[in-house]
Amino acid sequence: MSAHRIMFWQIEYTWLFYLLSAIAVLLFLIGAGSHIWVWKKNSKSMSLKGVGHALNKMCIDIITGRRLIRGDMAAGLMHFLIFWGFFLLFIGTCVLVAHEHLFEFLEGARYLWFSVLMEIGGISLLVGIIWGLVRRYLQRVPRLERRAEDAILPLWFVLMVLSGFFLEGARLAANSPQWADWSFVGNWIAGLIPAAAAERLYPSFWWVHALLCLGFISVVCYSKMFHILSAPASIFFSSASPVLPPSIEDETGRLDVAEAVFYDGCMRCGRCVAACPSSGAGEAYAPRDFVQWARKQMWQTQFPLNDIRLWNRGDYEGTNESMWYCTTCRACLEVCPVYGAAFEAVAKERRQAVEKGTLVPTILNQTLEKLFRYDNPWESSKKQRGAWAEGLDIADLTKRGAVTDLCYFVGCTTSFDDRARSIAHSFTKILQLTGVNFGILGKKEPCCGDIARRVGEFGLFEEQKEKCKTLFDQYGITEIATSSPHCYHTLANDYPDSSFRARHYTMVLKELLKNKKLSFEKPLNVTVTYHDPCYLGRHNRIFNEPRDVIRAIPGLRLVEMEHSRENSLCCGGGGGRMWQDLKGERKMSEVRLEEAEATGAQILITACPMCLIMMEDARKAAGTREGFRVMDLNELLLEALENK
Amino acid sequence: MTELNIIICVKQIPDPEAPLSDVSIDAENLEVVVDAPQVISPFDENALEAAIQLKEELDGKVTVLSMGKKLSDSVLRKALAAGADELILLEDNGFEKLDSHSTATVLAAAIKKIGSFDLVLAGRQAGDWDSGQVGLILGEMLGLPCISLAREITVEDGSVIVKKTVPEGYERVKAKLPALITVSNEVGELRYISRTRMLKMMRGGDIPAWTAEEIGVSDDAIEKMNIASLTTPPDMTRDCQFLEGSPDQQAAALVDVFVSLR
Ligand code: SF4
Ligand code: SF4
Repeated sequence: MSAHRIMFWQIEYTWLFYLLSAIAVLLFLIGAGSHIWVWKKNSKSMSLKGVGHALNKMCIDIITGRRLIRGDMAAGLMHFLIFWGFFLLFIGTCVLVAHEHLFEFLEGARYLWFSVLMEIGGISLLVGIIWGLVRRYLQRVPRLERRAEDAILPLWFVLMVLSGFFLEGARLAANSPQWADWSFVGNWIAGLIPAAAAERLYPSFWWVHALLCLGFISVVCYSKMFHILSAPASIFFSSASPVLPPSIEDETGRLDVAEAVFYDGCMRCGRCVAACPSSGAGEAYAPRDFVQWARKQMWQTQFPLNDIRLWNRGDYEGTNESMWYCTTCRACLEVCPVYGAAFEAVAKERRQAVEKGTLVPTILNQTLEKLFRYDNPWESSKKQRGAWAEGLDIADLTKRGAVTDLCYFVGCTTSFDDRARSIAHSFTKILQLTGVNFGILGKKEPCCGDIARRVGEFGLFEEQKEKCKTLFDQYGITEIATSSPHCYHTLANDYPDSSFRARHYTMVLKELLKNKKLSFEKPLNVTVTYHDPCYLGRHNRIFNEPRDVIRAIPGLRLVEMEHSRENSLCCGGGGGRMWQDLKGERKMSEVRLEEAEATGAQILITACPMCLIMMEDARKAAGTREGFRVMDLNELLLEALENK
Repeated sequence: MTELNIIICVKQIPDPEAPLSDVSIDAENLEVVVDAPQVISPFDENALEAAIQLKEELDGKVTVLSMGKKLSDSVLRKALAAGADELILLEDNGFEKLDSHSTATVLAAAIKKIGSFDLVLAGRQAGDWDSGQVGLILGEMLGLPCISLAREITVEDGSVIVKKTVPEGYERVKAKLPALITVSNEVGELRYISRTRMLKMMRGGDIPAWTAEEIGVSDDAIEKMNIASLTTPPDMTRDCQFLEGSPDQQAAALVDVFVSLR
């Protein structure tokens, strides 16, 4: 007789099983349908593009778990085991159903292979789940939470797998078929069960296993397990229908489909919390909690039956303050398995707060007023804007007859802050030394609107954008170099259909280097480390240009910090945080400064006025090694050029 | 009493946040020239916030009054954007550089013309001249109980209970409505008015403007502020020295500084 399995062996009341199965599937479908219904409500702006690419990315992410492994090897492998174990068992069960109801094919060698794969699946799932429990409850990995469902669901899995193995063991013990060796786990368990009891125990094991599995199917859509479906969906939509920048006409509170799916796809893994500089500095904020809060809000306001989740319904109260912590540094998006941007959720909330008005913190309120009246967030006057350039023989493009190849967009912080002004001084000096024909907009230079955009004041952002565009058009400006990565990001990404090309100064310097315009006479024997500004690195992927320029200085040694490039740690100044007085246990800038010092470097180099101010302040406040300096890349470069 | 009828008086002034370099003195014409955009005086914004919060809590109506020779709609409509129901401008060629008493006379006349109200609010003082007179004189003219320097305002059973700032802390003062209250900054900053909200308000209907004649104020009832002379304040440059070295050296250096100042 060839190897096979008798379906429903010894089982009575199979109709009851089918009835319960139908109920479980129905519950599953209702849950899944509810999610889709909510997603659909938020799909007004959906426009699918690059579907093939998105599907491809989704499949590779799911099958290989590459994003999970890359971010955290242990967690990635754990998930790999669980995923493949679960997947094999799921497919196996479907195969069994097909075998029973469609056509019989599980016999002989095919059945034996099937048995082996199911054994592997079970073991893999069990090992993965237990590993997960160890990580969460014994190792107590900081980014993991320990809520009710975090215990219930894994234990449920353990019971499902164990009951499955015992059921198999009882069947093998009772029948002892000659192919039992292939089911190596089941056969081992069979050895533990006396043959006489096996036949009696079998139906009980069977029902326990069946009920556990059906129960699981019923709760999938009502717990974090829904990520089985929503995580792939989120990966897909994040790439096929990315979150659109909000337009002023939008009613506030509208979500894009990618956001809605992301909120449901977040399984609270906490990777974002581990990456977030605000959480890391001990501030009262965690991106995961914010996303969960946004998810709850979405369900409460959009679904007639309130939140669909069985667990964690009441928690994650958002406070009025929590939305102001985020520096929009993008670190969370870099690590989120489902490509969710917590800072976009924050931006949505900020926008509503700004429209409402009462929840805007005082300093920010004053800053926005100032920005509106004086085109800058720093000073209640426009007059001093170009003052740094007095006597430097720099062309003012707003004056008659001035025509240049490059417009240097100085930016508010560089124009007004005492420390940051040195960026303008050194950069323009370098441009002069290398013979670049450039000019500035002087007193007339407006704010690009970055701050307004990041804190959710979209109306003001639009006004600033119009001011800039009009001015650029009026003076025929087509090439722009900015001091600040923030201005660069805003001009390059938030001004659609613009008639100019904006670059950050690091890109200009790199070009000068390439064209052999920069030459150094003497070596500069120092060790430096470079801090990637969030809006240059993570947001715009400019990682190499500044490093190339730094490395071009002879004699200099560049060492990297523990967090660099896409993993760089935010200085704490972006996203409007410069104009907030929120506090944590530590300052983000001090955390970063410590890392910089730990490299043994003598100089910390940055390429952003905000970073420069933040790190310089941290240096003064926290105190560093004697002689440790914080410098802008331009300052370093000028020092090297003038080193004769 | 369920609904509350609030009148609030606001003054349009050049932004008091303007740096000193943008302020100059025209000694000849006895004028302070401030090269800065016009805004609502900060304490009046506090009063406005207080008024709107009361309205949100109890329902009612907030009417904003502002007096001047030439007022800017785009500045004052901010009050409407913040949540006030009505804005009335008191505009007349004669309403220029009035002294506190005359200002109160004009405002009193306008308030009488409006007729019914429960509360009159004003900022504790204007951000330009900082006299702090108009509110209390106005209360006197209207024959109302006045409470100054309010940091918290609650209304219950036909009375108003005000926490009033005093040097030691605060006093709780109760008065029967109608009453006049001058508001201090502790009540809180005016909520942020988004540009979208402001622009929507700018497209709103016409704002009524009443002249002196319409509110029955004759020329001889008001007087201009009489400035005897105006001078630039002495240059107050500050100097900051860092004393370096060990604590002992720093202490010694500090002693030297003190000695040299004697
Ligand atoms: S953008 Fe940065 S600060 Fe904001 S939530 Fe993400 S990691 Fe945290
Ligand atoms: S937002 Fe992303 S990274 Fe953060 S907990 Fe949710 S799934 Fe994990």
